[in-house]
Amino acid sequence: MRQALTFGALLLPALVVMGFVAVLPLLAVFNYSFHDIFSLDQAYWIGLEWYQEIVTSDRFLSSLARSLLFSGVILAIQIPLGIALALVLVRLHPVLRTFGLMLVALPLVVPWNMIPMIWLALVNPDTGLAGRAIEGMGWAFDYKFTALHTWALIVVMDTWHWIGLVVILACASLSAIPAPLYRAAAIDGASRLAVFRHIELPRLAGGLAIVLLLRFVDSFMIYTEAFAINAGGPNAATTFLSLDLGEDIKAYSYGSAAARAMLSFLVVVTVVWAFVKITTRDRGQA
Amino acid sequence: MRTGFHPARLLVLAMLALFILLPLVQTVVLSFLNTLPRDGLAEGTPSLINYRNIFASDDLRASLVNSGVYVLLNVALCLGAGLPAAYAFSRYRFTGDRHLLLALLVFRMTPPVVLSLPIFILFAQVGLVNSPIGIALVHCLFNLPIAIWILESFISAVPQELDETAFIDGHSLPSFFLRHLIPAIAPGIGVAAFFCFSFSWVEVVFARILTVTGGKPITMAINALFTFQTDIGLVMAMTVISLIPGVAMIWFVRNHIARGFTIRA
Repeated sequence: MRQALTFGALLLPALVVMGFVAVLPLLAVFNYSFHDIFSLDQAYWIGLEWYQEIVTSDRFLSSLARSLLFSGVILAIQIPLGIALALVLVRLHPVLRTFGLMLVALPLVVPWNMIPMIWLALVNPDTGLAGRAIEGMGWAFDYKFTALHTWALIVVMDTWHWIGLVVILACASLSAIPAPLYRAAAIDGASRLAVFRHIELPRLAGGLAIVLLLRFVDSFMIYTEAFAINAGGPNAATTFLSLDLGEDIKAYSYGSAAARAMLSFLVVVTVVWAFVKITTRDRGQA
Repeated sequence: MRTGFHPARLLVLAMLALFILLPLVQTVVLSFLNTLPRDGLAEGTPSLINYRNIFASDDLRASLVNSGVYVLLNVALCLGAGLPAAYAFSRYRFTGDRHLLLALLVFRMTPPVVLSLPIFILFAQVGLVNSPIGIALVHCLFNLPIAIWILESFISAVPQELDETAFIDGHSLPSFFLRHLIPAIAPGIGVAAFFCFSFSWVEVVFARILTVTGGKPITMAINALFTFQTDIGLVMAMTVISLIPGVAMIWFVRNHIARGFTIRA
């Protein structure tokens, strides 16, 4: 009993803060999503109408598909690349390893609205270092009107921004591997691949679960950076879910925005839940 | 495992450095160029004019202070509420405690755009709009779970005997925290502070909607610079300045940055 009280008292400040900034607003969004809202005093109960309208609209379905595709591309690039970089970094001299980690942490401290500005300046064909190089090589790069180029720019920018998180967390798991394990593997004459498969990968798995989730959610709901690059264009090719949601909020369509927000939240929670189920089953423990 | 100066690995590091630094070099170069036609100064000439303009502008200077205030408040809140919670998760066993920790992480994964509207309405009702306290609080949404997670793994690395001897010596829980626990996990506190600091400093969505008329943070001050004729040099100079605190934080935690991300099953 005394233990339970102490446990509760220690958690109380955190739970109060989270209740105020997370649980209350989430309940409010849930409530708005069943209303047609003209102003905060004039809200009419309309049940599931918003949901029906949104789920059956092409606009929602195509932006959902774009967001899922974007997250898929991001994960397929950043997770293997981040692991590969971490595997190299942990084998470098400690001074160089620290230098590498500091390097990849840099983009994490750049304000999010400045990241697209920096990249647009970089690929500017007149003044940008990369833009002039691309033009010098005679390539036609046109992120404004060619959908594939807009996607490429956003993917490269996102990789620049977030690769550090993957590398840092992967390094954390790798540096926890005791040196005798490597020595034993060397004595057994294990190949590089076998060391990765049987020593490094199992250690990485635990930490990677979280990286995968964080990268999935953050890329799935990318807003600030993607909007500033091309405002969802060309021709809505980069209008992701959250950009769609932003449009509704800007149009003061609160009920519809709330329903969209709940649907996004549902996708996120479903993925997180499924992911936790799969990973805990594999480890054979709760 | 051998560590050293293998040439292929050095090449990888060099390419990584090029990829990460190229956009930043571009930013720094532009910040030292005059990018608007001005009297007696041709476009594209190297100059310190952008930095002089920042310190001549009240709005830009004030935005630096505003950001600094709410970021520091947020770090204090996250450590203050996160440390006891992390200790509880590390040392006590209760049914559902793992689920509770996971539920907290789900909130980290809730997209800000989803909650922006009700948070604005809620905060407007209790008078937290245009105030640094409001932004510091709302950034706990994603920073507090991260802080608890990092601190929990550092506390779990401290042997339980430390707690037991301290309690036998007659320390109360608060005095044990101050005298023994905090010194023992100082690197962890540094790492947690670094991540809270950077995620609060770079956040845009909440910082925008919660500052309607006043208390504009640095991110919004930069946004306001985009006009009909944007002085891109000034924007880049402001960006360079906005990087300085983050770079200083990276330097302070450089030796501990990759620790503290282990999760117990």
